[in-house]
Amino acid sequence: MSKYLFIQSQDPFTEQRTRHQFELIGQLHDAGHDVSVLLVQNGVTPARRGALGEGLDRLLDGGVPVYADAFSLAQRELEEDDLKDRVGLSDLHIIIDAMLARGKVIWH
Amino acid sequence: MNVLQVIDQAYRTTTEEQDDTILWLTRSMRGAGGNLTVLLSGHAVHYAVLRRRQPALTLGQWRQTQPAELPRDIAELVASGVPVYAVQEDLEERGLGQLPLQGGVRPIARHALPGLYEQVDQVWQW
Amino acid sequence: MSHDRILTFAFMEPPFESERTITFFRLLDAALDRDVGVRVFAYEGAVALAFAHQQPHGNAVHGRDSGEEAHPLTKDWIQALQEKAQARRIGFEWINCGLCVDERGVNDVIDGCGRGGPPDLWRYASEARNTLTIGTR
Repeated sequence: MSKYLFIQSQDPFTEQRTRHQFELIGQLHDAGHDVSVLLVQNGVTPARRGALGEGLDRLLDGGVPVYADAFSLAQRELEEDDLKDRVGLSDLHIIIDAMLARGKVIWH
Repeated sequence: MNVLQVIDQAYRTTTEEQDDTILWLTRSMRGAGGNLTVLLSGHAVHYAVLRRRQPALTLGQWRQTQPAELPRDIAELVASGVPVYAVQEDLEERGLGQLPLQGGVRPIARHALPGLYEQVDQVWQW
Repeated sequence: MSHDRILTFAFMEPPFESERTITFFRLLDAALDRDVGVRVFAYEGAVALAFAHQQPHGNAVHGRDSGEEAHPLTKDWIQALQEKAQARRIGFEWINCGLCVDERGVNDVIDGCGRGGPPDLWRYASEARNTLTIGTR
């Protein structure tokens, strides 16, 4: 089992590619790997409660750990209570820790 | 260490740099002994079916003389021992699915990508 | 420092165009928080991050002169990270792609930033615990 952390900066409202990116993340999770996602920049926008974001919702429903970067949320005046269930808060140290753990850390 | 280079964009820099800068980077690192694999995805799958040199840019009296040669760059990567894959569904979405791939470029189905990601130590998304 | 405590980052965005630039610098800062040595390979537009002639400016729309505006400059961010690394006695190396520097004319860079090429990225990556690439769009 490998460890993956995807840094999701692209959002589904402007980037059609996110559909395939979320699919790949789900595939790796379904294959039994330790996969998590950190939403950053406009990538946090589908994490807001009520926001459309089928790909992200599927990951959340499938049990993929999803975190949102606190700074990116603050820029958009998003509080933890505004987020969909199961989206956690994080800072960027999660990336450093994943890299030190020799995870495959991939920027989307 | 084996690194997968995921090239997801196309035609960015091909005119002004006279190459794709990530293909160029990959060729250069390969020359330095890098153990690399290339995945063409998104619009970059276009590179797998190109046959000709890029068009030369002309601006006023200025004329480009060395436009990018992407088929050559791909061929030389393959010849240097770098496996090059193109995502089959991305080819099909763009109506390129029936075109012959450049020699040595292998199609890969989207469902097989996790296996490719597992074959390498690191994935460098560009 | 053990290579197990060094991380490599390859970055491509220029100074003032992309939110990725902010995230990238925050990431370097986070690495230093963990006492991790940092090696950066700046490619394409990112070579201008270290350009020594970046200048702050006033902003009439904001109603502030240059001193009041205190405009952020990426060369200052690099210097701040260099100083943080030095204070924590950890490494902070920065190599610009030399050809990218030449074509942009940004040869004059702040101290501590060097010049190299893709083989340096491969060397950095080979020696580091891990590598993250952040491309451009």
